[in-house]
Amino acid sequence: MASVLRYEYTVETEDLAKNYVMGPITVKALDGVSVKIRRGEYLSIMGPSGSGKTTFFNMIGGLDRPTRGKVYIDEVDIAKLDAYELAWLRARKIGYIFQTFNLIPVLTALENVSLPMIFAGVGREERLERAKQLLERVGLGERLDHKPAELSGGQQQRVAIARALANNPVIVLADEPTGNLDLHTGLDIITLLKNLNSEKGVTIITATHDLKMIDVSDRIFWIRDGKLERIETRKEVSVRPVERE
Amino acid sequence: MKREKQAIIFPIGEAIAFSVESIRRRLTRAVITIVSIVLGIAFLSALLTISRIVIALSGPIASAEALPSYQLWMAIIALLVCGVGIVNSMLMSVTERYKEIGTIKTLGAEDFHILELFLIEGGIMGAIGGVIGGILGWGVAFVIYALQSQSSLVSSLVTQAALGSIDLIGYSVILSVVLSLLSSMVPAYMASKLNPVEALRYEV
Repeated sequence: MASVLRYEYTVETEDLAKNYVMGPITVKALDGVSVKIRRGEYLSIMGPSGSGKTTFFNMIGGLDRPTRGKVYIDEVDIAKLDAYELAWLRARKIGYIFQTFNLIPVLTALENVSLPMIFAGVGREERLERAKQLLERVGLGERLDHKPAELSGGQQQRVAIARALANNPVIVLADEPTGNLDLHTGLDIITLLKNLNSEKGVTIITATHDLKMIDVSDRIFWIRDGKLERIETRKEVSVRPVERE
Repeated sequence: MKREKQAIIFPIGEAIAFSVESIRRRLTRAVITIVSIVLGIAFLSALLTISRIVIALSGPIASAEALPSYQLWMAIIALLVCGVGIVNSMLMSVTERYKEIGTIKTLGAEDFHILELFLIEGGIMGAIGGVIGGILGWGVAFVIYALQSQSSLVSSLVTQAALGSIDLIGYSVILSVVLSLLSSMVPAYMASKLNPVEALRYEV
């Protein structure tokens, strides 16, 4: 009964590193990052482009394998999982939100949200019912049968958030969730993520440039040149003037 | 983390609906592919029907070759050409949908699910092409011989042989579906093995 067990740390990394070999050059995209992320935390990973945010993000999402070091999700070393178990993990434990929304263009909002439930083996009736509830929760109860092309950017990102929550994951990973949205819509999305974080107790990890995100984050990881520069809580950031990138 | 090893199958109804929508979205290309299948299958179906009619007309005494081997070879080459066409079309479909495949994988799809979606897509195009091509080829062969018949005896023999050859339409459909599935296999396999990170990074 995995769902009943509570682990203090949802995500843990140990000396995580990733090198990319590009011809004669080896690029250290990530160089020895060790962090512990608590259950229910709202966390932002900040850093300039090319700092290794996305690499870090892909590692903890089980999308890419590290060159060195370990990633634990709910105390399971994900390097030890086979392809089937990794798919299982992605389906049930992790929800992903992308900068470019990445909805499936041929499916309606309702079908998009119910897709991850197919991979988790949820029955059709329950799937559609839950997808409907989730879409209502993110404020799209009126647009269930719209295809992504018929929705605005903000609405598409709401569908993506509902989809990320479909299988009640313990972690939601959001890669630049506001990157393609205007200021106001971006703020709406941040508020929505924060509310879901408080309501459902789901751990939210965002990789972002967006300084608005600091206001809702419990902690901020600053990453530079593949290394964890510092970890700050929201209070620590607010007493210090934030440097613009 | 406890998990039971049980294969979760993409419900067939929804997989088909998904594939049909994907075909509709790229309708022009699908139509071109289907037309090439239709032509290949119609050619084969017409040749086989003609050979049956010729045998019926020449009667039991004739030992004439009803289906010259060069014609059969032409049909086989036509089928190969349509196979290559399907491979090409499916490869384009995979490349266009890198991002979609990457996304589905992050949602927890297993390789098997991706394979299933692309094979169904190929199978649907094969089935449509097979039905149209089979009927077309059979019909053309029938009409040509019926129009050439001088006497009512010949005409009734032709009709009888043609109606007796209706099973060829069924074989054409089966052949077409098998051919399409075989041709979709490589592109579908490639799609299913994509690494999600690379697939997501891909810009069309």
